[in-house]
Amino acid sequence: MDNLIKRLEEKSFQIRNEMLDMCIKAGTGHVTSSLSCIDILVALYYGSILRFNPKDPEWKERDRFILSKGQASPALYTILADLGYFDKKELSLFAQKDGMFGVHLQNDVPGAEITSGSLGHGFGIAAGIALGAKMNRDLYLVFTLLGDGECYEGSIWETAMFASYHRLNNLIAMIDRNYLCVTDFTENLIELEPLENKWASFGWEVIRLDGHSFKDMLMVLLDVRSRKRSKPLVIIADTVKGKGIKSLCYDPLWHGLAPKGDIAGVCKLELERGDKYGQ
Amino acid sequence: MANNITQRDAFWDRIYEIAETNRDVVIISADMGAPSLDKIRKNLPSQFINTGIAEQNTITLAAGLSMTGKKVFTYAIAPFITLRCLEQIRVECSIMKIPITIVGVGGGFGYEDSGPTHHIIEDMAIMRAMPDIVINNVTDNVMAKAFADISCNLKKPNYVRLDRQILPQIYNENDRFDRGLSVLKKGRDFYIISTGCMTSVALEIIKEFAYETDKIGLIDLYTLPINEKELIKSIDSVKKIITIEEHFLPGGLGSAVCETLIDNNINIPVKRIGLVHDIGYSYIYGGREIIRQHYGIDKKSIIQKIKEFLNEQ
Repeated sequence: MDNLIKRLEEKSFQIRNEMLDMCIKAGTGHVTSSLSCIDILVALYYGSILRFNPKDPEWKERDRFILSKGQASPALYTILADLGYFDKKELSLFAQKDGMFGVHLQNDVPGAEITSGSLGHGFGIAAGIALGAKMNRDLYLVFTLLGDGECYEGSIWETAMFASYHRLNNLIAMIDRNYLCVTDFTENLIELEPLENKWASFGWEVIRLDGHSFKDMLMVLLDVRSRKRSKPLVIIADTVKGKGIKSLCYDPLWHGLAPKGDIAGVCKLELERGDKYGQ
Repeated sequence: MANNITQRDAFWDRIYEIAETNRDVVIISADMGAPSLDKIRKNLPSQFINTGIAEQNTITLAAGLSMTGKKVFTYAIAPFITLRCLEQIRVECSIMKIPITIVGVGGGFGYEDSGPTHHIIEDMAIMRAMPDIVINNVTDNVMAKAFADISCNLKKPNYVRLDRQILPQIYNENDRFDRGLSVLKKGRDFYIISTGCMTSVALEIIKEFAYETDKIGLIDLYTLPINEKELIKSIDSVKKIITIEEHFLPGGLGSAVCETLIDNNINIPVKRIGLVHDIGYSYIYGGREIIRQHYGIDKKSIIQKIKEFLNEQ
């Protein structure tokens, strides 16, 4: 386990670096939203949680991973490239002429599954896939990653109500709880807390954990396939928006941006140093 | 085909027959009922889902189900299953091109007693603004049944727009609807082009022009985007065109016809008859005919408008 965690931490560092390089080069991309969920994605893709095959992205028995917070596409694209879903050279063309993809997730990219960027969609699609899997008696799981700011969308709660009533226990939602929206901290806008109670009252099994602790995440995720409960599972993962780069943390103004010029250099340095504040 | 039933029942009765043999057909109702739907719910429970009054979830759920190989039909009153979840339709159907079928009941003033929230008189314009969504505005029960089959085989998303009321039967069981329009009467000099519920009105109207019966023709145009080749071929070398719709004029049938004519360098006068924005939405009750009178699209007003237009030099 300790070896696995060490490997995941190293992978996380590598993905953060490649994602940052990609966004700095393009001069765009939601860097902080990607940084907050990279550890979650690394746990899923490299921690032997998700079943997938980069050589056959449409493999029928694959687990579906639906990135509902499509603005974190830089994180997912970097991982998909690293896994060999497509040529890593595509990352250097991110959001540029002749590039394969841009700032938000698109469904024609191998491994991406859906187009996302408008919030409150992917979660409902994931529920539809989970329902279809039940109807077809398929055994794959459906994972979906939501932003905490995305939980302001009414459609999220329409789906939440539906999924628990229909006992979609093959649906695992993870919430990247980074506490920041576009303009401010969520609890300054409209309180999202107590978030666990809200999901529990909608009929979901709720687990709250540290979204930057591989140990905590693996403890939960490694058991997820053998769950016996009929409820869908939501994992609220507390994270830091901008995690890994001190200068980008705890500042709403960094939403949706890529660092440029001197600041880009500082960010690279902070990431290399593993600054305690951001790491 | 029985003509004492609504388009809704004609459509769902046929879907029921299809769903009995094709177990991948799934119907999602946003809490809309019908005797024909009750049959599906009762006899094919694993293929029927009620999402409650939650149209946004209805569309995303349908998209997800479609990704697992299901042929999904979503159903509610037309304004709610189109405009309430419009952005879901835009992303899932138009951008991602997921081939679900959206079925809305109550086109135009079908919900005559329910006021403007339930009238749907701008949906054709809004839905046709988005690429890759086919709009089927249904004229009668034969067509409703036919579009059940057509929808099942369509590789694109489509919007089937059903009338709420029982309308006269115009078509025969073996008529085909894959060309997007039907010439109901050939005309030498003029064509009326109508859609949906206004086609049965237009059939009555052309009787008023019996004295020049060879001159005036009628086309029922039920699929958007317009099959341009077919329309141009059908209107041939007529001198004037009149369009009739129970829908706001901007972006509707008349707009679409004018675009086709202009884009193909056909410069003939067109009179668009429909709902004008100057009147806007209305709280008018007392039946569909009363509402049509308010907007000047009742039979008598339309005849007057056509006569004036045909007399213009």
